[in-house]
Amino acid sequence: MAVIDEILSNLTNPDLWIRLAFASLLVIVLIGLSLWKDTKLEKKIIWSFARGLVQIVLLGSILVLIFGIEQLWILYGILFFMCVFAAYTNYKSYPYPKTFRINFIGITFSSLLIMTFVIFSGAIPNFNGIVYQASNTQSTFGSFVIPIGSMTIFFAMRQTGLTLERAKSDILKSRGEIEAALSLGASPTKAIKNITRDAFRVNLVPTLNRVAVLGVVNIPGLMSGMIVGGASPIEAAVYQVVIFMMLLCAAFISSIICSHFFTKQFFTADEQLNLEFFYKLSNIGKEKKK
Amino acid sequence: MKSPLFSINEVSFKIAEKTILDHISINIAQDKITGIIGPSGAGKSTFLRLLNKLISPTAGQIIYRDNDLKEMPSQNLRKEIGMLQQQAFLFPGTVKDNLLYGPLIWNIDYSEEDLIQLLAKVALDSGYLERDIEGLSGGEQQRVSLARSLANQPRVLLLDEPTSSLDISSEEIIEQTITKLNEEGVKIIIVSHSLEQTERITDCLLFLRQGKMIEKSDTTEFFSNYNRNEIKSFFKKKEEK
Repeated sequence: MAVIDEILSNLTNPDLWIRLAFASLLVIVLIGLSLWKDTKLEKKIIWSFARGLVQIVLLGSILVLIFGIEQLWILYGILFFMCVFAAYTNYKSYPYPKTFRINFIGITFSSLLIMTFVIFSGAIPNFNGIVYQASNTQSTFGSFVIPIGSMTIFFAMRQTGLTLERAKSDILKSRGEIEAALSLGASPTKAIKNITRDAFRVNLVPTLNRVAVLGVVNIPGLMSGMIVGGASPIEAAVYQVVIFMMLLCAAFISSIICSHFFTKQFFTADEQLNLEFFYKLSNIGKEKKK
Repeated sequence: MKSPLFSINEVSFKIAEKTILDHISINIAQDKITGIIGPSGAGKSTFLRLLNKLISPTAGQIIYRDNDLKEMPSQNLRKEIGMLQQQAFLFPGTVKDNLLYGPLIWNIDYSEEDLIQLLAKVALDSGYLERDIEGLSGGEQQRVSLARSLANQPRVLLLDEPTSSLDISSEEIIEQTITKLNEEGVKIIIVSHSLEQTERITDCLLFLRQGKMIEKSDTTEFFSNYNRNEIKSFFKKKEEK
């Protein structure tokens, strides 16, 4: 009931409606510009604005509900569902054999491991946890577990997908080098060591660069948002660095797990290239291009 | 009489519903350089790759020195049976990095002097040791690749058209190395695109066509016998090229 009261009090807040009225003025400006330039997008502008508003208010209401959750097992359940969805999304983008299962294991393990570390770091006496209550604007358990968890899962999903795609295309391109290494007695893991290393590097380096230019070139959205929301800039800065490290850690762990299981499929138990799998993947690549 | 180096019994290999090798049975002798010839797509490279277990037959059995290949651990087998592919496929880094790739896996100690001797076997001087592989010519890369295979001290060397894209002088050097290695006791099996090359360096020949073993004979006998229709047509095809 408290949650419904909160939603109602938000919706009856006059500030909210005044803000929307100002936004509507901008919509009118947009329609005017559209008419002037004859783009014939007026209906679409009105429809998009109305639809987007309803959807986002609904999402906001759901978030109010979720943010109000204090029971840890429900929060873990929601994170678990997000991991399943993330794994499915990667599977749809990279529809290779076993990618759903592999992504599910990697993303779920890494994200829940990092989130468990974050959540339980708050159990240390006289310490509020590495993330929890870093911002004074947060008051409930759900309001920090869900947003931080979603960022972690999203990042793990994105980096893992890119790593797998890179590893796949490099393995397909390097059959000769891999067989040369196998012919010298290398294990499959050693034979593709350079490939997996490059796949990790190419996806981690841009994020590390973003960390390296923090505060000089880049003031990330999360930090800006916190400052606009009233948090102290120093608190927001430290929070941002902690978040970056968490995201990187989850992404790296997930990429390692997934690339291990994914690249394993390229080899047989006799430490040979699995040619059937090789051709199957080559054909998927060709179909995707078509 | 020595037991064969390889005894191949009714071996077939199929992939994606396509038969590459069809019921091949043959013994490969211990003390000879064996050449494998045949037109493109005959299954020569596939046949060679079966011997160091880079692939496994879909039917039949391969016996290596009285051991069933299927039962032998792949990594150990590949140390003993080295392979040189058509292209060098060197790993990024220096020549030295490449030469030490196998020895580091197998804990074989190599001093700087040993590495120089290894390079000398393929007619490269010590100056090449620290050179990056990027700057090497095709012939030099293939010679480094051969030296890299030799660094594992193999007992058998499988060569898959090792000189097909090389100039005459690199081809000569590789042929000399092969002959010398055989004299030192390394067993050689070579797939070749060149009938002249097989005539020069091999003692015995296997002729494959469309995945089937057409002929096995001593090289001299083979070249005096080529009035047989299928082999003759193969020669003609090569000459037309």
